[in-house]
Amino acid sequence: MTSKPYRLGESFGHAIDRSRRVNFSFDGKQMPGYAGDTLASAVMANGQRVFGRSFKYHRPRGVVGLGSEEMNALVGVGEGSRHEPNLRATQVELHDGLVAVSQNRWPSLSFDIGSINNTLSRFFPGGFYYKTFMWPQKFWMSVYEPFIRRAAGLGKAPDGCDPDTYEHIHAHCDVLVVGGGVAGLAAAEAAAASGARVIICDENPQFGGWADIADGTIDGVAQSEWAQAKVQRLSEAENVHVLSRTTCVGHWQHNSLILFERVADHDPALLARGTPRHRLWKVRARQVILATGSIERPIAFANNDRPGIMLAGAARAFLTRYGVAPGSSGLVFTNNDDAYQTALALKQAGIQVRVVDSRSHVDSQLPTTARKAGIEIMAGSAIAAVESSFGGLDVTGVKVAPYRKGSGRVITETRIECDFIAMSGGFNPALHIWCHTGGKIRFDEALQSFRPDTHHDRIAAVGAANGTLALGGALNEAYAVGEAAGKAALPKSKAARPKVPKALQEVQQALESLWFSPATGKYNEGNKHFIDFQNDVTAADLELAQREGYESVEHTKRYTTFGMATDQGKTSNLNGLGVLAEATGKTIPQIGITTFRPPYTPFSFGSVAGPMTRQLFLPIRRTPIYEWHKSQAAQFEPIGQWRRAYTYPKPAEEKQASIAREILAVRNSVGLLDASTLGKIEIKGPDAAALLDRVYSNMFSTLKIGRCRYGLMMNELGFLIDDGVTVRLGEDHFLMHTTSGGADRVSAWLEEWLQTEWTDYKVFVTPVTEQWAQFAIAGPKARDVLRRLDPDFELSNEAFPHLSMKEGHLGRYPVRVFRISFSGELSYEVAVPANLGRGLWDEILTAGQDFGITVYGTEALHVLRAEKGYIVIGDETDGTVTPVDVGLDGLVSKKKSDFIGKRSLEQSFLKRTDRKQLVGLLTEDPSEVLPDGAYAVQEVKDKPPMEMIGQVTSSYFSPTLQRSIAMALIQSGRARMGETLSFPLDGKVVKAKIVDQVFYDKEGAQLNG
Amino acid sequence: MAELQYESALKGREASGLSIRLREIAERGMIDLRGFASDRKFMNAAKEILGVDLPKQPRTSNTWGEMRAFWLSTDQWLIICPRSKMAELLTALRKRLQGIHALAVDVSDMRSVLRLEGDGAREVLLKGCSLDLLSDEYSPGTVRRMRFAEIAALLHVVEEDMFDVYVFRSYAEYAWDFICATARPEAELRLFGKQDLAAS
Repeated sequence: MTSKPYRLGESFGHAIDRSRRVNFSFDGKQMPGYAGDTLASAVMANGQRVFGRSFKYHRPRGVVGLGSEEMNALVGVGEGSRHEPNLRATQVELHDGLVAVSQNRWPSLSFDIGSINNTLSRFFPGGFYYKTFMWPQKFWMSVYEPFIRRAAGLGKAPDGCDPDTYEHIHAHCDVLVVGGGVAGLAAAEAAAASGARVIICDENPQFGGWADIADGTIDGVAQSEWAQAKVQRLSEAENVHVLSRTTCVGHWQHNSLILFERVADHDPALLARGTPRHRLWKVRARQVILATGSIERPIAFANNDRPGIMLAGAARAFLTRYGVAPGSSGLVFTNNDDAYQTALALKQAGIQVRVVDSRSHVDSQLPTTARKAGIEIMAGSAIAAVESSFGGLDVTGVKVAPYRKGSGRVITETRIECDFIAMSGGFNPALHIWCHTGGKIRFDEALQSFRPDTHHDRIAAVGAANGTLALGGALNEAYAVGEAAGKAALPKSKAARPKVPKALQEVQQALESLWFSPATGKYNEGNKHFIDFQNDVTAADLELAQREGYESVEHTKRYTTFGMATDQGKTSNLNGLGVLAEATGKTIPQIGITTFRPPYTPFSFGSVAGPMTRQLFLPIRRTPIYEWHKSQAAQFEPIGQWRRAYTYPKPAEEKQASIAREILAVRNSVGLLDASTLGKIEIKGPDAAALLDRVYSNMFSTLKIGRCRYGLMMNELGFLIDDGVTVRLGEDHFLMHTTSGGADRVSAWLEEWLQTEWTDYKVFVTPVTEQWAQFAIAGPKARDVLRRLDPDFELSNEAFPHLSMKEGHLGRYPVRVFRISFSGELSYEVAVPANLGRGLWDEILTAGQDFGITVYGTEALHVLRAEKGYIVIGDETDGTVTPVDVGLDGLVSKKKSDFIGKRSLEQSFLKRTDRKQLVGLLTEDPSEVLPDGAYAVQEVKDKPPMEMIGQVTSSYFSPTLQRSIAMALIQSGRARMGETLSFPLDGKVVKAKIVDQVFYDKEGAQLNG
Repeated sequence: MAELQYESALKGREASGLSIRLREIAERGMIDLRGFASDRKFMNAAKEILGVDLPKQPRTSNTWGEMRAFWLSTDQWLIICPRSKMAELLTALRKRLQGIHALAVDVSDMRSVLRLEGDGAREVLLKGCSLDLLSDEYSPGTVRRMRFAEIAALLHVVEEDMFDVYVFRSYAEYAWDFICATARPEAELRLFGKQDLAAS
């Protein structure tokens, strides 16, 4: 008689608290559970085995594992914006109100349309996708890909913005112990004894690992009792940090590791209070000790994926930890002694159980105890077939056949009725973290698995992670490695060494590898031996890949997708290698192993983002006037990380109208601009002038004190990288202005040349951008406004001419005033210490009131300069434009012996006259504004390709000229003056005449007025 | 014209409801001083005016009364003084440094200073920087340039549980918001030390 899983009586289930009932829902069905349950144990206690459908064949699947190795029971947890897909039900802690859904099934778990793939599976062999979706090529995007995406989906992404918080933290420690089982706790204790700073983490809510389901005692007490006492002591220690619910997801160079802590997932009250949901730990450890344990191997027998077939350790833990019986009649299928503990535990719970052992002789202590307890042991046998109910939802029985390693096909069979199977194919040390940065591993015959060998980093493995499965050996090893790690951190420590406790445990008989359990019938007729459950890869698929020539294991992996699912081959890897070894007659070490990559288990995007969301998504730079801009409802634009005011529309004013108003105010009266973002660098020293002569194309050593000069900066290739006005403050002292975006880059550029090439130069370069708030007062009335600000210096054109500078006061405000202009108008740039910036800004607005002073934004600034034909680095230049190209040959010194870019400008291709040159453009229709980047073509054709001869670099409607203007880089542009060019756009061709790029006030009368 | 209107980036703001105390130190005088540590004339001149030796050891600072000198690099120091004394000091420094290869610049307004105080301040900082702040290396007086959150910053360990974080003025709001987000009491944690496992 078969039954569903059920909850046992009170003597089972030490992890659950039967006094605290918890209600949750799974696939919309309300279910009860207990505090301490996992979603997996609680759903099973409610009599349900099926948790999801498999990836390719949509076969019903149940829980196989106990923790992070679980590959089938992937669920979505939470609702709406708090939904998280693809969680392992074995790791989801139950809480009241938890909402979980199964995945990859449609329309329901018990009936799934996709399972037709299973019936048709002879048409879905390994490499199916590669073979089938090859042609016709045009079908790929429209038919194949959408189909595969829908069919292959795991969970669904959550809707909406995540309401929870996440954070990062950095931690340094002497010793990081990964894994808090018996070996990990022992290593941590030994390391901490020296006084070293120790962090120990474990992915589970409770420490102890398998202590509660393993036999044997430590210092006379049960393993779990010993472990709980140890973790309590460690948590009380001053030099130890204990982290539960924390997975080490990866190891990187120099012992840099990432730990993923699930801080509040288990308790909605914490989340409601605002506790960060997840915390990502970036740990730097002097020494790493891996106590990551081992992962039990499934066995490849026919239909080994039916719900109710679990790993033996998992079955035991469900029983003792959660008090959940996997069924009422079980079969343990094993090739080792460990699984006999499961048989004994089942027996003790009153569950009918038999053992099928592939080994011919079984006479060590555990099997003997089992026999004495009345458990039937079928030695030298293997499962040949699994029978299940309709749709494969439940196991109903098995066929057991005699087995001798290497002897081939099944002859006789015995049918045994059972409703669940606990399987154990041995144990694989969890090598993932060891291997992330290239730790070497070697094959261990006794384990029939790989174990750690050497590592270039300071990292060691202990206990089962090191292949040391026996308790005594693991403890000895853990204490020795822990002590050595502590000593390495604090060699002078005189602390007493902890005593290694005494372990008592039955000696186990060696396992015998069992990579494939022969089946009755033929392959692919309902007899699938699953290797990779999550990606539905069978032993037959792996053999087929071999026959098709995918000999390298890395090729096999990619061809069959074996080991490539979210579980990263935790349970499948070695079984696959075993099958390949047997198929090819090679040994497993000869087959080799595929690469382990982080993360160990998937971790949330939220934890990766940490607090860098919303207003912290990107650092935003604010000028001292930022608040004022905001108060005026300015529209902002990003310039690097700065937010600059783009324009200031009045209520109900269109953006274009507001820009035009600002421009006309500058042209006709006076405007005010916040130019604080301009880069500012103080340069001082005996060689300061010489430095400037080398980094600018034009001459600065001749600049008089108190005067300003515009400079062009090139890189070694002769291409423009920056421009700006430099002021001579003293004989050996200059102030350089750079573009807003170039401030950091240019000061680094100067430092690089000084530190690596011109080391003999005595010059100091100090960036001071943020010390100053800087404002442009521009327009015919600029001098009148300045006069009202009570300057203690002369303002007349003679005393304060264009391109000169005054240092003094405006009222009480200490200022530097530069008479420079980027608008073509009479213009002063006033610099004031940043913390006085807002005060002076308000004063200027008051002083300018009578003149209708208008604050203008960056767009007006750009139009104003374009009307004057001034270039902007990054608009008119793109990293391939020389000063000659933009018509500024006059600023390339003929006198200076050398400067950066000089030599490059002499290259023939930079001197060609047919290079793209900067010109002005006037469209035939004055209201037509060319788009930025529009291409001019040699000849307009019906359709591309057309020969392109240049592109628009800046284009605006000029309110001053009441027509559109543009600048463009055009091949042989200067020679084409007066020509009309064609710009084919979407559906039309715009014609524009080449003109000089200075559209306004060519004589500079305004500027010098 | 009216009085000078002084306004630091955060207007001397003080946070409330955090797990630590956080406020802006609004008024500071700061001078960026460049010169060669190997130039005895320069070092003597600086000492004479500032009353404090410029530290030669990386990541250290020297203090004398209200005056502090932070080591920034092999030829750069940040002088911290009361704002009221800055102008006078800078003039004296420049005068005394005439003829010596050096550069002294007023940078009082270039950076904002955020002060974190209290038990757990180190952990809050560790949410934004990768330094080993729990090691003995970070004892009072230590000065260290660092990457904090996603910006450049300068850390000064003032006292055991008191830290000044210097950030460029334009990033003051960002740094403030970041610390407020990471110093929420709900996110409080202590590294090492006695833990209560039952509570978690």
